[in-house]
Amino acid sequence: MDGLKCPEVLLNSLENGHFVIDENFTVTYWNRWLSVSTQISSEEIIGKSLQEFYPDINYIILLRKIRTALRLNTPTFYDSNSNTVFLPIIRNKVTKTALKLIQQQVTISPYIVSENKVMVSVYNISELHETKLSLQKEIEKVNELNNILEHDQEIIDKNIMIIKTNTKGTITDVSTLFCEFFKYDKNELVGNKASILKSGTLPDLVYQELWETILSKKSWSGEIENKTSSGDKKWVQSRITPIINETGELVEFNAVYQDVTNEKLLEELYITDPLTQLYNRRYFDELMTSITLHQRKADTDFIILIADIDHFKSINDTHGHQVGDEALKDVARVLKNSLRDNDVVARWGGEEFVIMLKNTDLQEAQMIAEKLRTNIEKRKIQNTINITTSIGLTKYYVGEDTNLTFKRADNALYKAKESGRNMVVTQL
Amino acid sequence: MIFNEDQTDALKEFMNISIGQATAHVAELLNAFGTMHIPKISIQDMSELNQVVIDNIDKDSNYYMIKQLFSGKFGGECVFIISEDSANNLGAHLYEIQMPLEDDITDAVMELTNIITSSIVSRLTEELDVQVQFFAPTSNFLNASNIIDDDEVTSYSKIIVISTELEFKDKNISANIFILTKDEAIISLRDLIDKKIEELY
Amino acid sequence: MKVLVVDDSKLARLSLIKSVKNVEPATEFFQAENGAIAVEVFKKERPRVVFLDLTMPIMDGYEALVEIMKIDSDAQVIVVSADIQAQAREKVLKLGAKNMFPKPINDEKMQNIFINDLIV
Repeated sequence: MDGLKCPEVLLNSLENGHFVIDENFTVTYWNRWLSVSTQISSEEIIGKSLQEFYPDINYIILLRKIRTALRLNTPTFYDSNSNTVFLPIIRNKVTKTALKLIQQQVTISPYIVSENKVMVSVYNISELHETKLSLQKEIEKVNELNNILEHDQEIIDKNIMIIKTNTKGTITDVSTLFCEFFKYDKNELVGNKASILKSGTLPDLVYQELWETILSKKSWSGEIENKTSSGDKKWVQSRITPIINETGELVEFNAVYQDVTNEKLLEELYITDPLTQLYNRRYFDELMTSITLHQRKADTDFIILIADIDHFKSINDTHGHQVGDEALKDVARVLKNSLRDNDVVARWGGEEFVIMLKNTDLQEAQMIAEKLRTNIEKRKIQNTINITTSIGLTKYYVGEDTNLTFKRADNALYKAKESGRNMVVTQL
Repeated sequence: MIFNEDQTDALKEFMNISIGQATAHVAELLNAFGTMHIPKISIQDMSELNQVVIDNIDKDSNYYMIKQLFSGKFGGECVFIISEDSANNLGAHLYEIQMPLEDDITDAVMELTNIITSSIVSRLTEELDVQVQFFAPTSNFLNASNIIDDDEVTSYSKIIVISTELEFKDKNISANIFILTKDEAIISLRDLIDKKIEELY
Repeated sequence: MKVLVVDDSKLARLSLIKSVKNVEPATEFFQAENGAIAVEVFKKERPRVVFLDLTMPIMDGYEALVEIMKIDSDAQVIVVSADIQAQAREKVLKLGAKNMFPKPINDEKMQNIFINDLIV
């Protein structure tokens, strides 16, 4: 062996190719694996130039790698992923394969530096490379799926209002549409309490019920009024879903909002009397129907008042319709301001108003009615015209037809008118 | 683990010399470079790797990334990042062709990586008197946003960042080298530096 | 004898000073961490020998070399650099440096510098 320092038997027993060449590409050693794999025996090649047998190798590159290995006394390498193999060796694989030639990892190590000799080692990495190729294909598929998913997420982000909070109500994430809708930057919202969006007009009871529901790990839906960063009121249909981890603990809340501001406005328009801004008769009727239909205990305890402005026709005749309208608006304002939040007041028609006092006993109701009457009496329309009202009062009896209730209230009102007006009459 | 001012200064000087030698090797072996500036060197925490990489590259470009592992007592990984344009320039020069194939470019980049890595690491290990084994470099062609996978950052704690700029004729070839090392390697490096510093005072 | 050592690395300066001391124990040292300071110190102290690094912030070695040679065309400047390419060497010799050596400089090399390149 020409200057080989380790036993030939060792290199011959290896299942990799090893050969020794110098800067002139003269081969001085060629191991058994190479002889077998390339069908070029060591006797044939030793002493000759590698170029005679493998003219297609880029020898400028090879020389550079050999020189680098010798100068730096360090191994140099060929890219093992390359599509060009260093020594074309046919793979004798019968089954289906992506690789016809053996994929190689080639390392050029300094061997005898003083003689400018390097050891070229050729490792068969075909199996590995095949796996890598098929893996790459799989990764491409996964990437494609991810792209679709990402695209979908983008669509969701831009088209659906989503807000996520931790269990304490601190915002952890919001979708792009959410930010646009409420006119906030994402970083202005994240970290803040979701309550900064509250419009402040909803009763606390609504939020209490909401929190009780979601903290008990149930989802909640309902309409809530929020406000944007510039203070515009917005109604949203909200569905809040509690997110629970594997151990059943509450982790966060996800909510999807839908803008129902326009619907709300229409709805309001539909149930509002345009002159007095009180509820209209339609609303009151619906309310009554709903109460009697469901017969929920909390809703069925109420008092009905019907208030009628005295001598309204003569006010109209004497002072004109405009003053008549002023009188109606004024009475509406007085009624609204004298009542509690829970009470409902609507314009019944003409100069008649209907009032529902909830969860109130008779005596208290009579006091409220009396207060309404005196408040109106004290009021002067356009600072000159006195007006008074007559009020009929009755109680709703659980299970009864509301027509009967109204009839009693009407009768009471009639009696008040009969008995000289500007008074409250109760009929049970 | 922190390097104090003296230690950082010493490491930089040490690296400067290594890189200077690597440069000379590159110039000689690749017959390539007009000028290679002495690079900027910094030591960063591994957790900052992502930021460091992002700061050093253009996030809209594509990059060749070559990783070369070296094992032994001073073990670690060299990450060599070179922009597509630079790599094309390098490939065209080394293969002496106008339009190098992707394989040619990769090979050229790998060759440059190998020379620089082994020059730097060999010198370090020589000084540290430890043996080192180099593994074949692996290459990837990536978009800037995919360069560092978060999973990769766990096994190392310090990075030595070397930003270098090579000028070649009228074309620019610039590259960044990140040497990722494990704690024990950094400790032995620091001990060596301390020894050198002690000799001077 | 006054010697000015210019390098942005403190370690590099200390290492040079140590080797110079070994050859010329009775030396008064001045240090500068960039070219600009080096030029100022050179003006004031007129050192016999300057050891000059090339890559430094603010003012690099090439510029400093030009300035120093302007002040004193007989200045003895030895460039000590990590850049060991032939081109860098050619350039500094043209600018007037006495010689250029790759880092690091050990005691033996320093001895040779004092024998071959410097007049002290």
